[in-house]
Amino acid sequence: MTTFAPYIEYARKAFAREATYRIELIAEIGSVVLRVYLLRSLWTALYAHNAAPTGLPLHSMITYTTVALLMSLVLEVDGTRVIREKLREGGIAVDLMKPIVVPFAYFSDGIGQTLLHAAAIVPSLLFALLLVRIDVPSLPVLAIFCCSLALGYGVNFFVNFLMNGVAFWTLETFGLQLIVRWISDLLSGQILPLSFFPGWFGRAVFALPFAAIYSTPLLVYVGIIPPAKWAAALAVQAAWLAATAGASFLLWRAASRRVVVQGG
Amino acid sequence: MPFAARAAGASAAKNACVPLIVTRDLRKVFRNAKRFPGALGALRGLFSPVYEDRVAVAGLSMEIERGEFIGYIGPNGAGKSTTIKMLTGILVPSAGEVEVAGIVPHRKRRENARNIGVVFGQRTQLYWDLPLVDSFELLRAIYGIPQDRYRRSLDAFIELLEMGDFLRTPVRQLSLGQRMRGDFAAAMLHEPPILYLDEPTIGLDVVAKEAIRTFVARVNREQGTTIILTTHDLADVERLCRRIVLIDHGRAIFDGPIERIKNEYGRERTLVVRFTETTSAPTIPGARLESVEGMTARFVFDRATQRVDRLVREVSDRYSVEDIAIEEPELEGIIRHIYTQGYAGEERSA
Repeated sequence: MTTFAPYIEYARKAFAREATYRIELIAEIGSVVLRVYLLRSLWTALYAHNAAPTGLPLHSMITYTTVALLMSLVLEVDGTRVIREKLREGGIAVDLMKPIVVPFAYFSDGIGQTLLHAAAIVPSLLFALLLVRIDVPSLPVLAIFCCSLALGYGVNFFVNFLMNGVAFWTLETFGLQLIVRWISDLLSGQILPLSFFPGWFGRAVFALPFAAIYSTPLLVYVGIIPPAKWAAALAVQAAWLAATAGASFLLWRAASRRVVVQGG
Repeated sequence: MPFAARAAGASAAKNACVPLIVTRDLRKVFRNAKRFPGALGALRGLFSPVYEDRVAVAGLSMEIERGEFIGYIGPNGAGKSTTIKMLTGILVPSAGEVEVAGIVPHRKRRENARNIGVVFGQRTQLYWDLPLVDSFELLRAIYGIPQDRYRRSLDAFIELLEMGDFLRTPVRQLSLGQRMRGDFAAAMLHEPPILYLDEPTIGLDVVAKEAIRTFVARVNREQGTTIILTTHDLADVERLCRRIVLIDHGRAIFDGPIERIKNEYGRERTLVVRFTETTSAPTIPGARLESVEGMTARFVFDRATQRVDRLVREVSDRYSVEDIAIEEPELEGIIRHIYTQGYAGEERSA
């Protein structure tokens, strides 16, 4: 008998827990607004001296970076970070002694954190709008953007899960964490559109799972992915979601056979 | 139907006369990468790791009946925690068998989890940043406890553990004693038939310790909960447990009632004699002088071979005595002796 009740409760408690860190949330909003302003200045300066790259005028570029920053409010929540922390401190034993599917619990915990941070999008957006003007696409585009964002959220969760899951073998993943974070920031299209990368590298980055996290929803939003290609783009995201979820399942199965809880 | 009754009921019907917990030749061997000293050593370990096997549990067989209160003791690194982890299903044994309430824990971890409650003295399962009651609500959802039953058991715990004052306080603001009471309630909210306690009184003051002991004894007596207590505080064991399983180097070196370990090792008694004047190197035939401090001397003798009345007569015939007392060994002394000297059961000579 599996019910969702425990997992809904995990999400609610994570939401409540995150809400106790009010200052952190306010700082996060401030940081996003500041970065929106800085990136607007940066792109404006760059565009003043160069011809606009393929089909991306300045206002689209500013829209892209602003939406990317707002997305980061929910996508930078790493609900699986607890795996690493709990393995180090041995707290994972407590979770494993409960009648729950532990990865589901962590996913729900992540959802709860995400929902709270999502609440920060509204004030961030309002402040950002005082500094920049962003394009607002039509309703169908917004709807597809949301679907694409949801798929990207899933891929992001499982990429993080795989990365943190390595801790089952190494216990220490900080180095890996840094490398993957750098690669992911650059290759997911969070910092700049992937179409900026030249030649074979430009084509290769679209073949990586990171592109499914930020790039696809953002390119849908700014209209570089036209309605005719929506289905294909979302199918690629769904495929990455299935692949990373499958890999996570295998990793968890192998990991739970060799849980070495620290201490004692 | 409440799940706890269902789970326990189903296994009870299936295994009416089988012990609740059974292990047979249970083994756990850890394979660790050997570490070499220094930076070069670390590099060497990285590229050509050498593995070492460490036997944590080396063939443990025991049976525990419903309603027992077991003191599971042994020195650090003896294999206690490893055993508990195998019983809870979070560690897979290397060899041997283990069954808890008719379930092989590591095969059906989640099913087994419904039958057990676990309290770690050094680790909390409560949400650090949230009010205590929030953790209980999460557990209600996890175990699917019906609202009315949840309300009833929570009220009972609030009263028994006197938690009313801090139910709505964030856990990080609780004292250790309050937090432990919260952890006990959290472990037992789903009324598990089996309770594992891992050093539950560590760091507590005497009053808090006593409150926890009284509570645990009551749970065992009134609800028939089977309890396995792992601790270094032998006063806990002496006060609560009827049976001791003593483990060392991964093996059970003693398994039986506390009285038996006391009888086997408690053969030694100490005769404390206080003389009226300073007496250097006093002797009594049949007893060994342990120490002299001022006018007080301590003699150790074997209760099985020496009669107390004769020793008392000897000493008062020979010396001018002010006071005589006989000390019985405490469990702690016995266990300390076994840790350092090893256990030899009946064959041990005094």
